[in-house]
Amino acid sequence: MDLKDIKAIIDLMKKNSISEFELERQDFKIRLRRNANGVAQMGGAEEGGYIALPGPAVASPAVPVEPIVVSSPSTDLEIKSPMVGTFYRAPSPEAGNYVEIGSEVTPETVVCIIEAMKVMNEIKAEVKGVVTQVIADSAKPVEFGQPLFKIRPTA
Amino acid sequence: MTIDTFILTALRSPSGTSISGGEIAQKLGVTRAAVWARVRELRALGYEIEASPHEGYRLLNSPDVLLGDDLMSRLKGDPLIGRDIRVFQETTSTSDVIERLAADGVREGVVVFAESQSRGRGRLGREWISPAGKGIWFSVLLRPNLRPIEATQLTVAAATAVARAIESETRLMPQVKWPNDILLGSRKVAGILTELSAEVDRVKHLILGVGLDANFEEADFPERVRATATSLRMELGHPVDRAGLAVAMLTELERDYARIRSGRFDAIATEWEALCTTLGRQVSVRVGDRVLHGRAESLASDGALLLRTQHGHLERITGGDVSLKK
Repeated sequence: MDLKDIKAIIDLMKKNSISEFELERQDFKIRLRRNANGVAQMGGAEEGGYIALPGPAVASPAVPVEPIVVSSPSTDLEIKSPMVGTFYRAPSPEAGNYVEIGSEVTPETVVCIIEAMKVMNEIKAEVKGVVTQVIADSAKPVEFGQPLFKIRPTA
Repeated sequence: MTIDTFILTALRSPSGTSISGGEIAQKLGVTRAAVWARVRELRALGYEIEASPHEGYRLLNSPDVLLGDDLMSRLKGDPLIGRDIRVFQETTSTSDVIERLAADGVREGVVVFAESQSRGRGRLGREWISPAGKGIWFSVLLRPNLRPIEATQLTVAAATAVARAIESETRLMPQVKWPNDILLGSRKVAGILTELSAEVDRVKHLILGVGLDANFEEADFPERVRATATSLRMELGHPVDRAGLAVAMLTELERDYARIRSGRFDAIATEWEALCTTLGRQVSVRVGDRVLHGRAESLASDGALLLRTQHGHLERITGGDVSLKK
């Protein structure tokens, strides 16, 4: 299962107003949850100043007047390395990074390079969204399947 | 210079002789084990490197891949063009990558190659066919101190440089068609695309894109271009050494860029005129929706084509499609 599949599931969930979806296979498990008004639950700091908590969805302690912020970082999708190689965030040491936290990406946006066997391989976002986290360190080796970025999908 | 570039440089000069691991290690200030590790890596990439306990390392054969470190190791002196070479497995177009580097303020001379392009382009947004591993596609970032009107000089220089490289590497005799086509016989084998970013009186940067149909076979060309396109392989009857041609093209470009920077474009123009199939011929030139007919008379000092129209006056042509009349 890759980002495309997950995105397709999210689209199906939205279309059919499904609020929760769980799939378990041999060594793979995914759970997607949307909140009642149809907006996917998201991690990240909200206006109220709450900080996203890692782990399962957690409701902040109820404080009157303040909105209840629900944090669920699991709705962010990971871009994983499709190969063993060296991760580079820019096409050249003299150039700027392809993306930063907050960058909007489309499926065709190049987000990084993996250098393998001395050849640069452009890695695309393959999903429409916003970069919420840069996980891997530039110019460091990465393994197959290693998470590189987190992307919060947008419609 | 990376360790690999250094090792490949050492293995290549002088050709055919061995160099000891100890000698390489000493010059690089690394251990012999580190050199050995890199040699093993290069072998995994397809380099046939013989290791003998007494004589050291010897390069027997290079693979048909384009590797930045290898290409850099084969450029002589301390060149500007190719000071940094990056090879992409696939990209939309090598010029897209260079455009990005240019926007980030990267210094001139960086070269990007791709083993295949998903949106390789020719002039006027035309598609440039780029099947994986069959051609040589690269773009160079230049920041020449020229006025925008003089940028044509670089297209002309690139065309002569590519033609010279083909000639020296294959003994074929290419000709150029104004402004940016390289022909063998009457068929196109390579093209140059110059993209300019300029202010009113100054070139900000210029992207020189080169596409050479090196090892295409007939089936690699779509049917619609088969009558007008060819490759070095088809002309020679055997595949060519892509890395060798790439190095030759960068070397010739370096030479011409040096000539342009020192104000000696006239020397390039003279060479170009000798290679040019366009001059002296009756041609028609389509510029937008206007078509001019006349005799291609000469090349202006800025690279423009001077056309003597059928009405007898001289037109300066700086763009458009030229077709030769039979």
